[in-house]
Amino acid sequence: MFRLPGLPRLNVRVPFRPPFRTLGPGSVSSLLKIALDVAYVLLMIITAVLLLVLLASIFIPIANLNITVSNESGGRQQPLTRPLLLFGVGALTAYFGGFLLILRNLRMIFRTLTLGDPFQPDNVRRLRQVGLILAVVTGGVWLAQGVVAARLAPGVMERQGFGELLTPVFSVLVVFVLAEVFREGARLRRESELTI
Amino acid sequence: MAIRVQLDRLLVERRMSLTELADRVGVTVANLSILKTGKARAVRFTTLFALCRELECQPGDILIYEPGPPEPDLDDEA
Repeated sequence: MFRLPGLPRLNVRVPFRPPFRTLGPGSVSSLLKIALDVAYVLLMIITAVLLLVLLASIFIPIANLNITVSNESGGRQQPLTRPLLLFGVGALTAYFGGFLLILRNLRMIFRTLTLGDPFQPDNVRRLRQVGLILAVVTGGVWLAQGVVAARLAPGVMERQGFGELLTPVFSVLVVFVLAEVFREGARLRRESELTI
Repeated sequence: MAIRVQLDRLLVERRMSLTELADRVGVTVANLSILKTGKARAVRFTTLFALCRELECQPGDILIYEPGPPEPDLDDEA
């Protein structure tokens, strides 16, 4: 290892241990599980309402409706067409639906954390699903913003660059790596169970 | 895996039940059953020592090697 000559070697270790329980009943995991439960119910209601709006938007008359696209320098009005309405409401429904599925998997993962047994083979599948849905949702948002910038609000809204995808791609990769960590944990757990 | 556990034969020869052996060795009957049926992935030296002590045999009397392809790895389930 490279070390500057003459510098004293610092050998200070500060063991960090959170002053609260992180796994098991009555731990931070169970609190987070409750928060996830609440968020899940709220997202379910929002998604259900959006689905109803999506169904209604097929039939409601929109002949004389306009939408305004604007930024600081001004804006313009354009008629609200049915494909535009369906695209908008559909994209929102898919966005919330995607996060609903992510929360569903996270709730199940946190249930195992609350039980104090996180390394279950099912958690590997759940984390992989979370990564996949996160990739689809963030990729979809990026594409939808590109479509809006190019077709609906040219000159008003700037097109998304590939730089905007860096954080989502990083997050998705972290989730997939975590899934592999859980897979290794599940393997060790099984091996430990079958060691007599 | 091509490693076979000969607990059945040894128990018959010693006229000992699985429950009695489990009690003497200090493992559960369920765990000893896993070992007996060849589902175990590994055996601790302490368990092997206790088995040899109670059955009055050598490790080679309990475990035998049979040539052949290894059984599929259970790690690839997930």
